[in-house]
Amino acid sequence: MNYTNRFKSFIKKPHNVILVSLAIILSYLTIVPMITIILDTFTVHQSELMRVKGAAVGDFTLYHWTKVLFSSASRKIFYEPFLNTMVVSFGTCFIAITLGGMMAWLVTRTNLRFKGILSTLFIFPYIMPSWTLAMAWLNFFQNSLVGGSPGIFTALTGIETANWFAYGPFPIIVVLGLHYAPFAYILIGGILRNMDANLEEAALILKASRAKIMRKITIPIVLPAMLSTFLLVFSSAMSAFAVPAFLGTSVRYQVLTTQMYRTLNGLNPGYGYIMALLMIIIGVFILGINHHIVGSRKSFTTITGKSSNISLINLRGMTTPLSYLLLILISMVCIVPLFSFALESFIMEPGNYSFDNFTTLFWIGSGSPEIANGEPGILRNPSIFTGLWNSLRLSVLVAFISGSMGILAGYAIVKKKNSRLSAFVNNLAFFPYLMPSMAFGAIYLSMFAVRRGFIPPLYGSFALLVLVGAVKYLPFASRASVGAMHQLSNEIEEAAAIQGIGWGKRMLRIIIPIQKASFLSGYLLPFISCMRELSLFILLVTPSTRILTTMLFQYNEKGWSQYANAINLLIVLFVVLSNTAVNRLTGASIDKGIGGQ
Amino acid sequence: MPQIILKNITKRFGSAVAVDNLNLVIDDREFLTLLGPSGCGKTTTLRMIAGLETPTEGDIYIDDVCVFSAERGIDISPDKRNVGFLFQNYALWPHMTVYKNIAFGLENMKWDKERIHARVYELLEMLRIEEYHDRYPAELSGGQQQRVAIARTLATGPKILFMDEPLSNLDAKLRMEMRTELKRLHAETDSTFVYVTHDQLEAMTLSTNICLLRNGLLQQYAPPLEVYHTPSNVFVADFVGSPNINMIEVSGESVNLDEVKLSNEQVRMLFVPTSSSFSITKGQKLFLGIRPECIAITEEGPLSGEIYSTLPSGMETIVKIDVDGLLLTCVVFGGVDFAMGEQVNISFTSEHIVLFDQATERNIATGKLM
Repeated sequence: MNYTNRFKSFIKKPHNVILVSLAIILSYLTIVPMITIILDTFTVHQSELMRVKGAAVGDFTLYHWTKVLFSSASRKIFYEPFLNTMVVSFGTCFIAITLGGMMAWLVTRTNLRFKGILSTLFIFPYIMPSWTLAMAWLNFFQNSLVGGSPGIFTALTGIETANWFAYGPFPIIVVLGLHYAPFAYILIGGILRNMDANLEEAALILKASRAKIMRKITIPIVLPAMLSTFLLVFSSAMSAFAVPAFLGTSVRYQVLTTQMYRTLNGLNPGYGYIMALLMIIIGVFILGINHHIVGSRKSFTTITGKSSNISLINLRGMTTPLSYLLLILISMVCIVPLFSFALESFIMEPGNYSFDNFTTLFWIGSGSPEIANGEPGILRNPSIFTGLWNSLRLSVLVAFISGSMGILAGYAIVKKKNSRLSAFVNNLAFFPYLMPSMAFGAIYLSMFAVRRGFIPPLYGSFALLVLVGAVKYLPFASRASVGAMHQLSNEIEEAAAIQGIGWGKRMLRIIIPIQKASFLSGYLLPFISCMRELSLFILLVTPSTRILTTMLFQYNEKGWSQYANAINLLIVLFVVLSNTAVNRLTGASIDKGIGGQ
Repeated sequence: MPQIILKNITKRFGSAVAVDNLNLVIDDREFLTLLGPSGCGKTTTLRMIAGLETPTEGDIYIDDVCVFSAERGIDISPDKRNVGFLFQNYALWPHMTVYKNIAFGLENMKWDKERIHARVYELLEMLRIEEYHDRYPAELSGGQQQRVAIARTLATGPKILFMDEPLSNLDAKLRMEMRTELKRLHAETDSTFVYVTHDQLEAMTLSTNICLLRNGLLQQYAPPLEVYHTPSNVFVADFVGSPNINMIEVSGESVNLDEVKLSNEQVRMLFVPTSSSFSITKGQKLFLGIRPECIAITEEGPLSGEIYSTLPSGMETIVKIDVDGLLLTCVVFGGVDFAMGEQVNISFTSEHIVLFDQATERNIATGKLM
């Protein structure tokens, strides 16, 4: 066969066309930005002219690197935030895995009560925006030491909270830990549920004690999943922006992301790009380790068994008290924050919880000049409605694009598995997951600030938000879809192909309907993530394109916490309701998308 | 001498009854098979004896010790029942090497290193898997995994061994080979084996006693050949034996002293019982159960028909004969072939022909046909 014919037969197969197009598009949208960001770390920017003596914009310089890594200021600029990031990330992992792992074990292996409701509630913090708990924390525990009003806790008990308890690493770790615990719960729970109970029974028959079975059998077997969880939580915690921004800023506790926000938004974008680059490198490194662990020869991904045979461990007298205790604790984390938002948004003067201080001003007031520059209440505030409208159409567009791309990508990747092209596209589609959102936003900011070929300068446009969101959330959709396609045997499509049914019809009438739930998760996850995303968009929005989350952040920065609380309540309710609605209607759910059962 | 006794064991899952009032006595060194179609409660029974499942009612004794009693609230945990268990999917620990898998139980019994080493190698040798000692389970074939699982179960030398369909994941050739080895193992280890299978051939060839279950109810508890030749009811007769037993609907009438005249549209024959006497009412509806090997193709015979199909496999030939619309299966030894439509005569040669009542499906008598 000559090359022309070979090419013709290659291009005849839809999955080859998809793979080639995705390879080109995604290279442009992920690899080119990487190169841009590397170049940016060596370039003089407009705002840096003052610092770099005698240079013009665009000149090559080593100033950023030496300043960030090897100068007297490096400690403050880079090393301290880096160390803080590590402390926060490790602490978060510890809490998330301990809580999530324990919960997973209790739900899958014991006769705990209220498993259904506990499980649903436990996942709640992951569905809510990450700063929800941070804001709730402030609502409850903030003190008047760093300026500002005392929280509900102080109002109720009269005890002033200590600074270390109210702000800085401790609350950041606790809040992020709680936020990512569901992640660990879903991943570890999935393994425990799939893990053959016979493996534990076999040890029991050989007279091993419960403790020994746990130590020698259960934990080693779930260890790869735990490590995987650890790495994913670690990279997520590392790139978390909102929580450290809410809880750390007032005591000047900087992590890499908050530092990046300061520098990129301020006078030293070069510093920011270096931090972004370093975070991406750490992310890639973590992915490498993860691949290594999952691919090792002790891997057990093929374990299946009669899981119905699981004999649940009887907690005996502990069952009821423990069940109620968990129910109360989890409700406190999931439901009480919402009440605090509602409460805070009705209070005139922050910190004063007496009845005559209540007001509906921030919801339906027309705005008075002495409060918050005359900003009207959020239910009659046109800029809030612009924000809501922007958030909604952004999320819908992003979900549609990344969900559909994900389906195609998953289809083509699995169809041509074991080929180099497929592996390449698979990695490209996953790559945005590793980029810290803030850094990703920064790259697109730098890349599309100018005309690129036929693409006009996109800065300030809504299209840029859609583009960055669609690429950033593609990994969610493509992973859900790769998983779904793996479960589908090739013969199912071939049976249709042999009857002469065209590719489009095969996709629409056979493949998509069969794996409907998984594919829908691939749309739902980007939608919800986008609805609550802050750090990805914060560098890119302009007043005309602002969205709810960035408005919330701005209100909070200005100290108008009532508005922030009210908006937050809106976002949480919206996200939870849409998740529940989609779940009820289609069976798709957020936990299915990230590897749960 | 370890004897296992089950008294009035019942297991309910919610409202579904998995095992219904089961009574069994399993003697020392027996090879007992729990046989039945899927969902009949055999695995549940095995798991209850091992202590992995809790019966709803009844008592279980192992070696004269009561290990479970619903009434007295006794429930000894599996690790204290001194039994071994071989799981259907082997349940090898994926994170341990073959050596570690086998040594785990011994380490648990606090044996010293050298003794463990010697014992593990003894087993590796016995099951011919020495060269795989440092492999992980994922790197072994199904048959090798199975051997490792057996070695792990045998390592601690349990006097009672439970096996839950251990051969069902193997291919036909390997299964055949493993059957031989299991039977040898039973003789060599001097232990009691309780074996679960849905494969009647496995039960027939391996066991000293078969316990046949259906929907949680005991159907028959007897040695294999007895189950084969004198099945207690129509279900047992049909479940055991391949190809299936011929079931002919007839109506009967007692004649002479204890003989029965059987008749239907195609057949008119006299049944002479060899078992104890019985009587039937005139015109009572009966099933006549004739094993395929009890039908011979002969020069002359009481019945004639034409060949419907032949399936020669070399060692034997399965022949289906159409006797005026009644389809009979018979087995002829050796590779005989017949042409389809060929006319043949048949006769009934055995004393193991069984008569069942149609209403109760119970075994009435065994005997021969004249």
